[in-house]
Amino acid sequence: MASAQLTTVSAFVEGAPPGELADVINDIKTLTIESPDILSQLGPAFEKYNEEQFTAVKLPGGSQYVLVSSHNSLGDGRYYDVESSSSFAFDHSTQKASAVQSHVLESSQSDLVKSLLKNLGTHVKEHYPSASFGVFPTDGDSKIAIIIVANKYSPNNFWNGRWRSLYIFDPSASSLTGSIKVDVHYYEDGNVRLLTDKPVSTSVPSASASTIAREIAVAEKKYQEEINKGFTNLSEGAFKGLRRQLPITRQKIEWDKIAGYRLGQDIGGGSSKR
Amino acid sequence: MADTDAQFDSALDLLRRLDPKHTTTHLNSLIDLVPAITEDLLSSVDQPLTISRCRKTGRDYLLCDYNRDGDSYRSPWSGEFETPSGGSGPGGVDEQGNNDGAGEGAVPSERVRKMEIRANEAFDVYRELYYEGGVSSVYFWNLDDGFAGVVLLKKVATPAGKSQGTWDSIHVFEAVDRARTAHYKLTSTVILSLATSSDSLGAMDLSGNMTRQIESDLPVEDDTSHIANIGKLVEDMELKMRNLLQEVYFGKAKDVVGDLRSLGSLSEKNSETESHREMINSMKR
Repeated sequence: MASAQLTTVSAFVEGAPPGELADVINDIKTLTIESPDILSQLGPAFEKYNEEQFTAVKLPGGSQYVLVSSHNSLGDGRYYDVESSSSFAFDHSTQKASAVQSHVLESSQSDLVKSLLKNLGTHVKEHYPSASFGVFPTDGDSKIAIIIVANKYSPNNFWNGRWRSLYIFDPSASSLTGSIKVDVHYYEDGNVRLLTDKPVSTSVPSASASTIAREIAVAEKKYQEEINKGFTNLSEGAFKGLRRQLPITRQKIEWDKIAGYRLGQDIGGGSSKR
Repeated sequence: MADTDAQFDSALDLLRRLDPKHTTTHLNSLIDLVPAITEDLLSSVDQPLTISRCRKTGRDYLLCDYNRDGDSYRSPWSGEFETPSGGSGPGGVDEQGNNDGAGEGAVPSERVRKMEIRANEAFDVYRELYYEGGVSSVYFWNLDDGFAGVVLLKKVATPAGKSQGTWDSIHVFEAVDRARTAHYKLTSTVILSLATSSDSLGAMDLSGNMTRQIESDLPVEDDTSHIANIGKLVEDMELKMRNLLQEVYFGKAKDVVGDLRSLGSLSEKNSETESHREMINSMKR
């Protein structure tokens, strides 16, 4: 019973829209008021959420955002940031950072990591009004994880959005694989959600930071154009195929006469088949 | 002692946040979590409609809480309850001879059933004119001072290519009789799910629901006026909601993506904005 409840509630946490984790937690608190121990068991669900959503957090006293992901985890709830050469403790339920310490990157690839940060910074600045990014050695220092996350929250206008990209550069295969995910929530007098998932897989001609950053820029540009096309296709295709704006006669129905209407006739040229 | 009102509010808040594509799954989870709010949730949360085929007439009809009696559902075409095992019956009247209210086997009075038949015919025409397919069903029930009902419309679109869509309209109304007019209260929900996928796009899902309410006093001469009044109200509401959905799904959602990431270069855009501003300022002088 208790474990079934925990599974249910953990799924709610996992499904929290961008910027709305605290609201979801408040709802869970009220719903599980009779089993208050449930909340204290949600640690793993919060951790999974923050690491998968690349939660961006400001270090105490700092102005720069740093990221939380499985690729920069030091274990025991601590994460590190390359740019600021620091590590920090992260509270997964309140999404706050504390206990900052200095952390020097020890990696055989630290030069590439640092020049990737620089090159990526240019790309991010050109295309994201507000984004955080990170580059971390991963998979036993054999690969490099590149993360970009952009959040825009406007709860007063009932919408929130998140764009997150993850790329794994594999020097031995000269490949870049990963995914781009967009999540938009609109909830004024309703609940509308855009969820996208695009796997990325491309080969990188040379293992230089500028080449890798350029491949990412190309993949993201192409994907954003595809999303815009996707909106048009859904609007012109599926949406139009569901319900017409007006009947084929371009006139609203004369309800006083509807008793006399017969399907396929008497309706001003309307036809039951199209 | 749990405060079930607060729990109900939290459940609704959560359903407004979690992925609307899976409302039914979330609803079932919430019912498992807090069984005390089951009835309140089932009667206030709209879910995608299920289609069944009327055994007597062979026509499709839609299932919802308002034509349900346990496992059985009343077909609007035959007026009879159909059990999952294949039986049918009049349903409705309890030991005290009461047949008021919606659901729980309620059947409308003879007068209201007559209007219900006419409304089903009218909305069948409406469905064909606007949806060019799909299924419609209308259920009425008696109120002490009038009657109430629900107009349901469902269409599944599978156009060429890999995109797909489902539209569910749920219009619940009350008609309260007054002298030569009736007061109508309409609450409408549209559940719209759209999805498309391809190698270059990956998976894209755009789903959700929106609800709107209106109240209106309209003249009534006889029972035929009710059908025309409800028809106009639903038609106007659906036009409004279709425009709203179009704006939110293809306008707002797309704008937010553009706010997150700019396709063009931001430095160029900023300098363009700057020169635009300078131009306007110079024209003001």
